[in-house]
Amino acid sequence: MLIEIDQAVVATPHSQALRGVSLTLSQRRVGVVGPNGAGKSTLAKLLNGLVLPTAGRVSVDGLDTRGDLKAVRRRVGFVFQNPENQIVYPIVREDMAFGLKPLGLDAAERERRIQASLAGLGVAHLADRASHTLSGGECQLVALASVLVTEPALVVFDEPTTQLDLRNRNRVARAIAGLAQAAVVVSHDLDLLRDFDRVLVVVDGRIAADDAPGPALRWYCEHCA
Amino acid sequence: MKTQDTVLIALFAALIVVLSLMPPIPLPAIPVPVTLQTLGTMLAGAMLGPVRGGLACLLYLLLAAIGLPVLPGGRGGLGVFFGPTGGFLVGMAAGAFVTGWLARRLAAPARGGAAAVAAYAAACVAGGILVVYAVGIPWLSAVTQMGLGKAALAVAAFVPGDLIKAVVAASVAWRVERVWPLFRESP
Amino acid sequence: MMIEPLYIRGRSPLHRVPAAFKLAALVAAGAGLFALRDVRLLGAALAVAGLLVWSTGVGAAALWRQLRGLAWVLAAIGAFAAVFQGWLQAAAVLLRVGALVGLALAVTLSTRSSDLIAVCERALLPLQRLGLLDAGKVALALALALRFVPEIWRHYQEIREAQAARGLARHPLALIVPLVVRTLKRAEQVAQAIDARS
Repeated sequence: MLIEIDQAVVATPHSQALRGVSLTLSQRRVGVVGPNGAGKSTLAKLLNGLVLPTAGRVSVDGLDTRGDLKAVRRRVGFVFQNPENQIVYPIVREDMAFGLKPLGLDAAERERRIQASLAGLGVAHLADRASHTLSGGECQLVALASVLVTEPALVVFDEPTTQLDLRNRNRVARAIAGLAQAAVVVSHDLDLLRDFDRVLVVVDGRIAADDAPGPALRWYCEHCA
Repeated sequence: MKTQDTVLIALFAALIVVLSLMPPIPLPAIPVPVTLQTLGTMLAGAMLGPVRGGLACLLYLLLAAIGLPVLPGGRGGLGVFFGPTGGFLVGMAAGAFVTGWLARRLAAPARGGAAAVAAYAAACVAGGILVVYAVGIPWLSAVTQMGLGKAALAVAAFVPGDLIKAVVAASVAWRVERVWPLFRESP
Repeated sequence: MMIEPLYIRGRSPLHRVPAAFKLAALVAAGAGLFALRDVRLLGAALAVAGLLVWSTGVGAAALWRQLRGLAWVLAAIGAFAAVFQGWLQAAAVLLRVGALVGLALAVTLSTRSSDLIAVCERALLPLQRLGLLDAGKVALALALALRFVPEIWRHYQEIREAQAARGLARHPLALIVPLVVRTLKRAEQVAQAIDARS
């Protein structure tokens, strides 16, 4: 899994969300922290092509997000901050099947993947539940399962635990720790990132610090607290 | 039609369902509490524009037609469409289209809050009342073999309530548009 | 608050008729009822409709909920017709409307929503072929609407409680504006989540 961001600029009519960021990411666990509005989410969304750079280039395993969007999205899954707005079908199983549609698998294989994905996160019992009856933590785990069911190589998380209570936050943290795939996690929850391989600090659209968690988080606490 | 449009249509249809199922609320000057179903369809047109607003209404009607109790009072199914008031339902989709079309033309360029609300209100009255009744009254007349004039007389009592709903819908549309502008988007 | 379909599970003869056939028969019956003038025949039609509704196994409470609104409308129509056109004509109108609504209700009670959707899909196939319609998007829209009704309802209850705490419980604007804004915000997030998965 190799992500290359080359002089990426993301500009809107009102502001510059990212000002010329260049990075190569290959670590298994990468954290991203920074003050509100710094550009963390924008950086995360570059990885899955939800945001395309206004200048510069983002490539995932050699695939350019501008040219090979579908292929990039098959490789990179994305879990958002709001748990309930990611599950779009009334029954959990249907939502997971929706994620599998573009892959054109046969029914048996679809069922196998759905079962495996839910079981891997300890939520196999939720397969036939109505989506609106899930708790916040259950929603996040099901959303993650829906992403994992397409067997991506990388999962990007945009503040996955911000809206969760302590118990659910711990469940999601354990799920992220146990993930076989590589993960990039944007978070205000600094404890989540302490065992990661690398932490980026984004301030004002630029990478202000890029180090192991210890030094990077120390820098963040000294300069942005 | 982008994903954003499909989602807006679907969520607005869901919003119309919620508005329809809310307990009737008292409006100023109206003796009987009214349901907010028409308000929902007026809002769909005013906020989403003619195409998306019309489709949101159609989706709402489809939900009712396939047997879901999404009409006021928990009613639903084909019975309502085949009954005397079916035309008022069907007319809502066309009405939302007209409301949206007029809102785009009149409210977008309006300067000042009062002018904008008045423009929205005109759009809501034209679509939510004139068009709806233009479909509903002939339908009622045909089903009951009543004669157009008598059918019109029969439903006249509902017009004041609908007029107030149009004003409320216009106020809501204006307030929401200021916080969450949708006019710049298609279609 | 999940929306429960009106469909009644069962194995009556009406249940076993294919949906497309029931719909076609309903439309034909509708046309036929308008051709009938004889009050006795209309009465028989109403009896048949009533029998079909009863055969679906619907409970009295559920049935009344569906017919309650119609009862008032029929009373008004009956009064109008009696005054302007005479008793016989009024009876004909009431019997005809009753039979029509009854037959339609019987179809709704005995047919699964998913079967009706399947009929819609087949009927709209020509539009799909012409490129005017995307069946996948329609299916997604249906699912999304059903998925989020309970969430939007929950938010309505939250707003109502919050407003009541501030003494604003009966103000329609205070209720509807936040509901619409949150729904629009939600739409943006849901669209992003869908895009990320496609």
